[in-house]
Amino acid sequence: MSDATIPSKSIELRVLRYRPASDREPVLVSYRVAYSDDMSVLQALQSIKDTQDGSLSFRWSCRMAVCGSCGMMINGEPKLACNTFVRDLAPDAVIIEPLQNFPIERDLVVTVGDFVKKIESIYPYIIPKVAKPVEDGAHLQTPAQMAAYESFSDCINCMLCYAACPQFGANPDFIGPGAMALLQRYNGDSRDGGRQFRLDQIHGEDGVWACTAVGICSEVCPKQVDPANAVNQNKTNSALDFFLHYVQPRSQP
Amino acid sequence: MRPTILHHPAPKRSVAPVFWLLFGAGGMLSALFGPALIILTGFMLPHGWGVPANFSDFPHVLAFVRHPIGKLVVLAVIALFFWHGAERLFLTLKDMRAGPPLLLRLMTYGVAALLTLVTIALLLAIGF
Amino acid sequence: MSERRPFHRPQPRHWWAHKPYLAYTVRELSGVAVAVYGAILLAGLICLWRGPEAYAVYRRILSSDAAFAVHLVLLAAMLWHVLTWFQILPKTMPKLILRGRPVPQRQVTAIALLVAMVCSAALLVVVVAIGVTS
Repeated sequence: MSDATIPSKSIELRVLRYRPASDREPVLVSYRVAYSDDMSVLQALQSIKDTQDGSLSFRWSCRMAVCGSCGMMINGEPKLACNTFVRDLAPDAVIIEPLQNFPIERDLVVTVGDFVKKIESIYPYIIPKVAKPVEDGAHLQTPAQMAAYESFSDCINCMLCYAACPQFGANPDFIGPGAMALLQRYNGDSRDGGRQFRLDQIHGEDGVWACTAVGICSEVCPKQVDPANAVNQNKTNSALDFFLHYVQPRSQP
Repeated sequence: MRPTILHHPAPKRSVAPVFWLLFGAGGMLSALFGPALIILTGFMLPHGWGVPANFSDFPHVLAFVRHPIGKLVVLAVIALFFWHGAERLFLTLKDMRAGPPLLLRLMTYGVAALLTLVTIALLLAIGF
Repeated sequence: MSERRPFHRPQPRHWWAHKPYLAYTVRELSGVAVAVYGAILLAGLICLWRGPEAYAVYRRILSSDAAFAVHLVLLAAMLWHVLTWFQILPKTMPKLILRGRPVPQRQVTAIALLVAMVCSAALLVVVVAIGVTS
């Protein structure tokens, strides 16, 4: 066995814990964990849960930055615990908190209900322009047409962008970067005809107009989705729609 | 067969696009010509650098501002620059929680609107 | 064990003064300098309207060292505004697809900055040219 896999060093993790039945408010609890160079923060938390305190709660699933479950604040930055390595944080103590801007359910687990509602509100599915029976074959698309939206379909709903967004922090009703990335994934799809339905959902004070182009959402995104681009190009679209709706009034969908 | 779509009620439309477009127009105008304008009116004209010394004389500048195109240039620059600064100041003050939003709007958009009217009035008073 | 009592952590009041948000706050305030410059022009317009004496006072103030320093600060803020404005520009546009590939955002920023420099330089050249020919 090489040295890299033998836990020879240890690091202090200060985890913000909140047990709703007993804690009035969250408190930092310190743990010391032996680590090896290939150990992620998620694995460090798992080792605490396995060997020190089985009540420590956190979400995780895939361990490889695909499922988007293990988002948390690591030294104040929103990160996926599974692709953040202890070796890059050592030797200083690491502060681990639940995602900023979200209500804490328990320990590192936050409430996701509002985020799911926002995603549902923007029609997160293709609404075909014209009805096309299955017998008529597939809806075709060129590589260039796919390139127009493909990166927005890489979103894993990890909510790091929401934790980074100060406007979401100030206004929890703001539709936010992640849902806007998904909106653009469909509005940018050449096979889709639901653009107007979606624009109607985001033209309010809590829609695109709550964004002030801070841009950190795109910097913290682990999948380079660039949600800031999704939000801000839809300011242009929504502004155009604002003036067009005077010229050609439509009935509500 | 069109699939059944579960419709969500649309939220109330914001008037933000109006201010955002004024902000954007001012931002673009200043980004393209702002540095040259400051160099021109802040350094070259007051000190006669690269331009004739009489270039910023009263009759010259008056003639420029009396010309319809000159009026449009002056109005676009002054008003749009104010709208640009107003939007940014409003958002920053809101970020800083400096006061109730209505007051902040009056202090920023309100001032920009007022100074736009003042600029128009001055341009008309100066005549053609 | 199953008690549900979500805890709402307040947003730090001074988030805008700390990393990584400080750069955003500075960027926004550089836009305010644009309006301050507009105010200097408006003051000139007021003096022009009041007549030759008032306008002469405006010119005297503008040629002072203090005004020179103020304009240097405004120019620095304006240049920062130009840079950050075009850094955001690609965020406000749909993805540019050239030959089936998205154009990198830094390339969009670089081209826009070049256009801006050409615009500003052209304005100065035109003014100098008018001065030479008049």
